[in-house]
Amino acid sequence: MSTQTLTNETLQAPAASRWRSLVTQESVATVVVSLIVAAAVILPLLVLIVSSFRVLDPGGFDTTWGLDNYRTLYTDRVIPKAFVNTLIVCAGSTLIATFFGVALAWVNARTNCPGRGRMEPFNLVPFFLSPFVGAIAWHNLAGGKVGLINSWGRDFLGMQGNLINVDNLYGVIWVTGLFFAPLVYLFVIGSLRRMDPSLEDSARTTGAGLVRTAMTVTLPLVAPGILSGAIIVFVTTAGEFGVPFKLSAPYGWQTLTTQIFSKAVGDDANIYLGAAMSMALGVITVLLIWIQQRYIAPRSFTTVTGKGFRPNVIDLGGWKWVAFAFNLGFILVAVVLPILCLFIVSLHPVWQSRIILHDLTLHNYVRTLFFWAPDHIAAATNGIYNSFILAFAGATIAMILSLVVSYMIHRTKGFGARLLDFLCVVPVGFPGIVIAMGVLVTYIKTPIYATLWILLLGYITRFFPYGQRNVSSVMLAISEELDQSSRMAGASWFTTLRRITIPLLKPGIFAGWVLLFIIFLRELSISIILYSSGTETLSVGVYYLTNYENDTLTAALSVTQTVMLLACVYIFRRIAGREALTV
Amino acid sequence: MTATNAAAYVEVQGLVKWFGADRAVDDVSFNVSKGNFVTLLGPSGCGKTTTLMSIAGLHSIDAGQIRVGGMIYTAPKNGIFMPPEKRDIGMVFQSYAIWPHMTVAQNVAYPLEIRGMPQPEIDSRVADVLRLVGLAEMAAKLATQLSGGQQQRAALARAIVSRPRLLLFDEPLSNLDLKLREQMRVELKRIQNEVGITSIYVTHDQAEALVMSDEIIVMSKGRIQQRGTPHEIYARPVNAYVSNFIGVANLLKGRIVAVNGGGRGKIEIAQNGKQLQFPCLIAAGIRAGDEAVLSVRPENVQARRDNGDGRCLEGEVLQAIFLGNCVDCRVRWGDFEWKVLTHPRGRLSKGDKVYLHLDPEHTLAVQP
Repeated sequence: MSTQTLTNETLQAPAASRWRSLVTQESVATVVVSLIVAAAVILPLLVLIVSSFRVLDPGGFDTTWGLDNYRTLYTDRVIPKAFVNTLIVCAGSTLIATFFGVALAWVNARTNCPGRGRMEPFNLVPFFLSPFVGAIAWHNLAGGKVGLINSWGRDFLGMQGNLINVDNLYGVIWVTGLFFAPLVYLFVIGSLRRMDPSLEDSARTTGAGLVRTAMTVTLPLVAPGILSGAIIVFVTTAGEFGVPFKLSAPYGWQTLTTQIFSKAVGDDANIYLGAAMSMALGVITVLLIWIQQRYIAPRSFTTVTGKGFRPNVIDLGGWKWVAFAFNLGFILVAVVLPILCLFIVSLHPVWQSRIILHDLTLHNYVRTLFFWAPDHIAAATNGIYNSFILAFAGATIAMILSLVVSYMIHRTKGFGARLLDFLCVVPVGFPGIVIAMGVLVTYIKTPIYATLWILLLGYITRFFPYGQRNVSSVMLAISEELDQSSRMAGASWFTTLRRITIPLLKPGIFAGWVLLFIIFLRELSISIILYSSGTETLSVGVYYLTNYENDTLTAALSVTQTVMLLACVYIFRRIAGREALTV
Repeated sequence: MTATNAAAYVEVQGLVKWFGADRAVDDVSFNVSKGNFVTLLGPSGCGKTTTLMSIAGLHSIDAGQIRVGGMIYTAPKNGIFMPPEKRDIGMVFQSYAIWPHMTVAQNVAYPLEIRGMPQPEIDSRVADVLRLVGLAEMAAKLATQLSGGQQQRAALARAIVSRPRLLLFDEPLSNLDLKLREQMRVELKRIQNEVGITSIYVTHDQAEALVMSDEIIVMSKGRIQQRGTPHEIYARPVNAYVSNFIGVANLLKGRIVAVNGGGRGKIEIAQNGKQLQFPCLIAAGIRAGDEAVLSVRPENVQARRDNGDGRCLEGEVLQAIFLGNCVDCRVRWGDFEWKVLTHPRGRLSKGDKVYLHLDPEHTLAVQP
C-alpha cells in the first residue's frame, strides 16, 4: 500500500478501513473456499505422485525412493495383462454403449417410434443404478453353471454346458456397455432434440436423400456429442471396479482396478505399488478427459435458437415397430431382467439355479435389513446406515461447497476464479479408485483413517464437480444484476447470498443434491479402498455378502439398494420435473 | 455534507478504469449538484456504464476519487473502497433485476428490511411508493407476472423507497418498446422531480437525454466530450463528434480566418474549387488559423427559390421525403450533400433548383 500522506479530504476515512476494505465477507469466503478445494483436490494427488516413488522393501516395513514400482508395472506377471484386459474392456464397452446410446437417442428424439415419451425415463434407469449390482444380477441370470438362463437351457432344451456365459471379459463388456449407454444417450439426445430441423430440410431441398442427409448433416452435427459420450464411457469403464471384480477377476481376468484393489487391501498389500498403478490409470483417463474438454466439448455446435421448432420426426413406417421392439429390448436386458432375476434369487434360502416355489422366504431381507434381528449381518445393516449418513452429509457439504465455488467462478473475475474452475475439472479426470488411493496414502497415518470422515472426504473430492456443474448452469442463466441490485439495496454479500442468490438457485442446488445423494448411495470404488470394519457402505455390504456369504443374501441387499435408488429417482422426478436430472 | 458544498454533491475526480489493456474510462471528472438529474450520454463502449458502476461500487477503479455528499466512496490512492451496500445508493438496472421469487411488495420492501425498519413503517412506505409509481394494485403479484413497463416501475420503486443519497439509472428504458419508452421518460422525470433525489442516468439514446436531463455529459472513448444543459449541448456543440451524435448536422471541414469579439468570426471552406467564407459562431478554445468544422443543423438551413442577397449556395434537390410536419431534403452542392428540413409549404421536389441560406446565428465553427 502506498505511503503517501493523507490529504485532509481522506481524513474522514479511518486508517483501519484500508484493511477492512480488503477483508470483506466475499474475499474471506473466496480465500477459505479456494484453500479447502485446493487442499481436497491437490493434496491427495500430490501425495499419490510422491508415494508412487516409494519402494517397499521385501520385509514390508521400510521404504526407499526409486522407480521400482513403475518397473514392476511391466515386469510383473499379472499387471501387464490386467492393463491389456482393461483396454479390451474399455474398447468393447465403449462400442456397445455408443451403439445403444446413439440408436436409442435417435429413435426417441427423431422418429415416430410408438411410446417414445414413456420409454425415455426407463432408458435412463441404468445410469442411476449400481453397475456392480448389475454384474451380480447378470451373473445370476447368465453366469456359467449358476445362471438361470443356462439352467433352463439344460432343463428345457436338453443342452449341454452353457447357453451363454457372462463370467468372462465379454460379460464385463456387456454389462458395462449396457449400464453406461445412458451416458452416450444423454450427450446425444440434447443436440438431436434441439437441432434446427431446417438444417436437415435445407439438405433435403438440395436433393440429398434421407440417408445422405443423415450422414452429411445430422451425424456431423451430433458427432461431437457422440465422441464426448464415448470418451466418458471409456474413462468410466476404465475406473469401474465392481463389474470386473464380480464377473472376470474370479475367473482369471484381472483389470487395473481389481489389481489396485488387491494392492490396497489384499494379503499382499503394497499401497506404494498401488499408487504407481493408480498413476498409470490416472494418466490415461486425465489425458482422455483433457482431450474431450479441450477439443471436443467446444465443438458441440450450438444449434439452439430458443425458438420452438415444429416437431420434426421421421416417419419410419412399418419399421417403427422394429424401433419400438429394439427400445423395449434394451429396457428388458438392462433393467427388467436383471432386477427381476435378483428379486427371485433373493427369495430363496440357497440359490440352486432353479426357482423352487415352496422354498420362498423373506428371511434374507430380515438378515440384511433388520439390525435388531439376532442373525443379522452387521456389514449389511451398517452399510445401509452408513450410506445414508454419508449420502446425506456428503451431498449437503458438497452442495454448499459447489454453491460458493460456482459463485466465485461466475461472479468474481480474475486469477482466483480461473484457478477454481480448473480445480473443479481435475477430479472428473480421475476414476474414483485413483482419488481413493490418493486419499488413502494421504490420510492413512491420521486419526480420520478408518472413520466415516475419510469416506466423506473421498466422496466429496471426487464428486462435488457434478454438483457444481448443476449450480453453475443455473447461475449462468441468472442475471448478475439480480445480485447487484441487492447490494445496492444495502444488503451485504452474505445477506445477498442468503436472500437472493440461493433462493434463485434452488432448482440447481436441489438437482445437484439429489444427483450426489444417488451417486453416494451406490458408490463402490472409493468405498472399497477406504472402508474398514464398522464403516462399511451399502455397496461394500453387497461386496461383503458376495465374497463371504451366499448369492441369495447378496441379491437381497442388491434389491434393497436398487429399490432405494429407484425411489430417490422417482421422488426427485415428481418434485423437480422431467428435464431436471441430467449429468 | 455541508451546505456550502451543495454545488458539488457528487464529485468524480480523475476517474480511470482499465479493462485488461483497454482504458475504459480515461481521466473523467465531473460534479453533480444536489437534486439535479444528470445524464451520461454516449455510444456503447464509451465508458458511461463503467463510470456508473464505479460510483455504485460494483467494481473497483484504478485511479481517481469518488465522493458523495463530502464522503469518500472510492479512493484507490488511499486504499479506500466502500462496499456497495454501505453507499446508500438506489439503482435501476437495464434488466430491471426484479427478483422473480418475491412479490412486488416484497421486492420493494427489501431495502427497508435490510435497514431494520419496523414492519408497520415498512408497510406504509411501500404502499406510498407503489402509489407513486402507479403499481398499488400490483403489490401482491409475483414479479414474473408484470409487464416490462411495470417491472420498470417496480425497479424504480425499489430504488427510491429507502430515500437514498443518490439514484443511478443504467439504461433503464432500453428494453421497452418505443411507445412505452416515450411514456416512461416523462413518468421517470416526474417521479424524480417529486422525490428530489440527485440522479445520474446512463443512456445511448440522445432523445431520452434531451427530454429528461438537467445536464448532459457527452462521453466518447472513455473521455468527456462536453457537458451542459440539453439546450447548450444541442445548440452549441463544442466539436464535430458532439454535434453529430446529438441530432443531425451538416459538417464541412474548414479553417478559421477571423475571430471577432463575442464568440463570432469567419470560417473558410474550400468547396468546388472556390474558397468561401461564412460568418459564424465560434466555439470556445478555437483561434484564428485553426482547423475547424462548420456545423449547421438541417432545420437551420433555409432553402429558397431565389438567390435573395446573392450570398446563397446554389444547389439541386436530390431527394425530398415528406414527413408530415416537415420535408427532409437532400440538396447537392458540388460534391457535398446538404441535409435540409423545410416546411411542407415550400413544395420542393426532386430536381428543383434551390438556394441555401445559412443564418450566422445558427452556423457554428466547432473543433474537429
